[in-house]
Amino acid sequence: MEGWDPSTKSTLTQIPLLTTKAGPRDGAAWTQRLKEEYKALIAYTQMNKSKDNDWFRISAANPEGTRWTGKCWYVHNLLKYEFDLQFDIPVAYPATAPELELPQLDGKTQKMYRGGKICLTVHFKPLWAKNCPRFGIAHALCLGLAPWLAAEIPILVDSGMIKHKDDTASSSES
Amino acid sequence: MDDELAELQRQFEFAQQAKSSIRLSERNVVELVQKLHQLHIIDFDLLHTVSGKEYITPEQLRHEILTEIKKLGRVSLIDLADTVGVDLYYVEKQAHQIVSDEPGLMLIQGEVISQSYWDNVAEEVNDRLQECSQIALAELAAQLLVGSELIASILEPRLGTLVKGRLEGGQLYTPAYVARVSAMVRGASRGITVPTNLTVLWSSLQQLLQEMDGTNGVVVDSSFFQSIFNGLLKEGEILGSLRAGVHWTPNVFAVAQKESVDSFFSQNSFISYEVLQNLGIPQPIQYLKSRYPEGTALVDVFVHPSLIEMLDAATEDALERSSWIGALSVLPASFGSQNASKLLSLCPSVQLEIKSNKAVIFGESYLFSNGFLKDVYGRLEKDMETFCVSGSSGVVLSNDLSDIKVGHDSSRFTDSSETVHEMSSNKQATEKGSKKKRGKSSGTAAAASVTEISVNTQENFAAKSKKGQRKGKDTSSLQVSDSKSAVKKESVKPKEDNNNIPSEEWVMQKISVLVPDFEEQGLLFSMLELSILTTTEQEFISLSNVVGIDDLETVIRPLANYLRPKLVDFWKQKRKALFTENAEKMKSLLDNLQKKLDESFLNMQLYEKALDLFEDDQSTSKPNNLGQQVILHRHLLRTTAAAIADTLIHNLDLHNKLKNGVEVEESQNSDSVSLTPGERITISKSFPGSLSNMALAVVEALEGKRVETFMTALRAIAEESGLILRKLDKKLERTLLHSYRKDLTSQVSAETDPVSLLPKVVSLLYIQLHHKALQAPGRAISVAITRLKDKLDDSTYKILTDYQAATVTLLALISAATGDEEDCTSDRILSRRELLEDQMAALKGLVLSSSQS
Repeated sequence: MEGWDPSTKSTLTQIPLLTTKAGPRDGAAWTQRLKEEYKALIAYTQMNKSKDNDWFRISAANPEGTRWTGKCWYVHNLLKYEFDLQFDIPVAYPATAPELELPQLDGKTQKMYRGGKICLTVHFKPLWAKNCPRFGIAHALCLGLAPWLAAEIPILVDSGMIKHKDDTASSSES
Repeated sequence: MDDELAELQRQFEFAQQAKSSIRLSERNVVELVQKLHQLHIIDFDLLHTVSGKEYITPEQLRHEILTEIKKLGRVSLIDLADTVGVDLYYVEKQAHQIVSDEPGLMLIQGEVISQSYWDNVAEEVNDRLQECSQIALAELAAQLLVGSELIASILEPRLGTLVKGRLEGGQLYTPAYVARVSAMVRGASRGITVPTNLTVLWSSLQQLLQEMDGTNGVVVDSSFFQSIFNGLLKEGEILGSLRAGVHWTPNVFAVAQKESVDSFFSQNSFISYEVLQNLGIPQPIQYLKSRYPEGTALVDVFVHPSLIEMLDAATEDALERSSWIGALSVLPASFGSQNASKLLSLCPSVQLEIKSNKAVIFGESYLFSNGFLKDVYGRLEKDMETFCVSGSSGVVLSNDLSDIKVGHDSSRFTDSSETVHEMSSNKQATEKGSKKKRGKSSGTAAAASVTEISVNTQENFAAKSKKGQRKGKDTSSLQVSDSKSAVKKESVKPKEDNNNIPSEEWVMQKISVLVPDFEEQGLLFSMLELSILTTTEQEFISLSNVVGIDDLETVIRPLANYLRPKLVDFWKQKRKALFTENAEKMKSLLDNLQKKLDESFLNMQLYEKALDLFEDDQSTSKPNNLGQQVILHRHLLRTTAAAIADTLIHNLDLHNKLKNGVEVEESQNSDSVSLTPGERITISKSFPGSLSNMALAVVEALEGKRVETFMTALRAIAEESGLILRKLDKKLERTLLHSYRKDLTSQVSAETDPVSLLPKVVSLLYIQLHHKALQAPGRAISVAITRLKDKLDDSTYKILTDYQAATVTLLALISAATGDEEDCTSDRILSRRELLEDQMAALKGLVLSSSQS
């Protein structure tokens, strides 16, 4: 579990683990799995809210629950930077982790694959594989996106790659 | 899509929509508070807690501290800081404020303690006290971890209310206990009858309590006892006086002390300080003076005037009877001589007598009246006279002080009777010895000393030493007197001073002999002087029973010292008188001696010359001639020389005696002295130093065979003793020879005995022919005759030889005669004698005719 900061780790352990091992093509089993995913997400969200650490909104974009969309944000220097978030549940799910995409930041940072898919740390993959099928979407967000945002956004902001919407607005106005 | 899923979807949606709670970080809060301060919305100090995560107002702190104190009653500030969570500094500050505000609180050694806490403690203590009846404050203090002074100060106001007991010397006691202990103290101090150091008492009481309480008994401090004791004393439950806080003198004791002192003093009319000290009175003099102002304090006793009166009466009596008294005999036995002397000086009669010079005090306590002293002095003087006459004992005593001291000491420590006997016999011996001839004195002394064995040796010793001294004296004085007169005066005087003064010991001895009452009663029998003494002696004797021998010494010595100067003066005068008397005698003696010596010495020289005739042909003469010559020498020595030596020695001896102040009764018959060789030697030995040697040499020469040796010896001694020996000169020789010849001629003409005629005729012939005076013994006659042969004509010589032969035969017959009547020898002697008588005329004619021619 090394490689993550202590608060991340403590948070991770509080997210309920999943039990059902099913992918999107497994029918009822997937439904079951989806229910567990929701429960975990709800718990995580509540946890974040209670800690005044709410940082994303997601919802299923299709009824099968294989594609998800939403927003995520990060506060840096008292300014809130908000990005679109989307991802698909891969067929090999849960063995394979979902690939989180931030399409707005595509091409702006090196820590990103084509299409805005974020690069995760070397520790993520083995940890996920080890905890398959117990880790779900909530875990992926917690372990993947949150540290990535915390690491990349200040750099991106400082390097001027991204600008606050007020600034862009004001600059576009001017 | 089942309901459940939809539900979950909705729920998730809802959860995401829900408003997240807002949180402030610590930093934000701190900033906010700072902001509030800046804005003066908070206008008082805020305190941090130790963790640094909380703010606390001082009021809150105060409140918290108060509650804490109220809860516990006694809180340590350190604990408080811990529990409140505020830094100790603020807690202390606040606590000080609280304590100063609230009167019921106190801050002691970093602890805040409330009065209620102390109340509780007091109650607890009371409970324990009722249980154990006594508690040490130190114990309590240790238990409560506070100082014992604090505990004491806390408990004191609560004594009697919360704590039912009594605080004493760091101990708490219940009233019952106090009552018990005070009962003990009372009992103990009432039981004491002699002065006691109270601490000793307390320690014994402590021990008692310890035993009663067993092992758990607490040690009771002695100050507790002391305070109880003081209380009892104040209440009058015990009687007595306390000095320096610890020395307790009970009334009983004081009363007993006073009574015993009173009774002793009133009975004995004196009391020694020692007695008082034994009774525990530390300063007896002050005590007695304050009690008996009329009494007198002496060195170590205190006396009543009555005692002085008594002594006064006794001394007055003694003085009136002109005798003496030892104050010690009148006074009680415990009086020392110092006291006695002091007391004596207080007696009015003594004071009077001493002032008027009628009495003298000796040896501190002995009072002598002048009358007595005079008496003793008179008798001593009388004694001295004999002493002077004998002249020996004084010399002995003074010269041989060491010997006498030994003798004296030993005799003093022997039995008293022995002492006396010894003394008397000693005296007797000395007197006898001095009167008789010296040679016998040792014998008498020895005879006297046979009596006691213990005395014996010493006596002998004394006699011997005396003898030796006397001899020494004789010669030395002779020597001195014979030397030049200037020297004589100088040297005699010191001698006199040194030697002949009666010594202190001697005087003491005399006194003890004269006044026997100084001695113990044993000497009564031997004392002649007893008859002189008056009735007072009885008293003295009883006194001397009391007075020991040591005391005797103390009496007699000062007395002797007092009398001795007078005696010495007397003695000196006496000596002087004797000396002038003796000087004349000595002079006449010496003159006589000189005269006699002159005469006989000239004769001697004359005779000696005659011997020269025989010397001349010593070498040629036959050996038997030598024998003849020796015979001649010896004859001369035996006759003339011996006479000279005897006169010389005898006179020297007499002179020596005179010199010593000895009275020599006869000096006129000294012409006819003839001494045996032994006597000569003893007298010679008695001369001092070189004179003795010379005298001995003379005596020895007398025994020798050569006249010359005698002559030299005689000259030496004469020179030594200042006599002049006249040399023979021609003129003197002639006159002497002439007178001798005349003498001889008259003798020859008057001579009737044929035998004795021959030597005279021969001598006369020698004078006529050789002008030499020959002294020849009978045996040398024939030799002398043969020597005349060539001087005389034949007929004369014939007559001489015939006569000589006849004489020899006659003498041989007489010596051979047995005295038998029938023997024919007598007839033959008779015939021979007749024959000789016939020839006598011829012989006489021979000499007389030639003398006349």
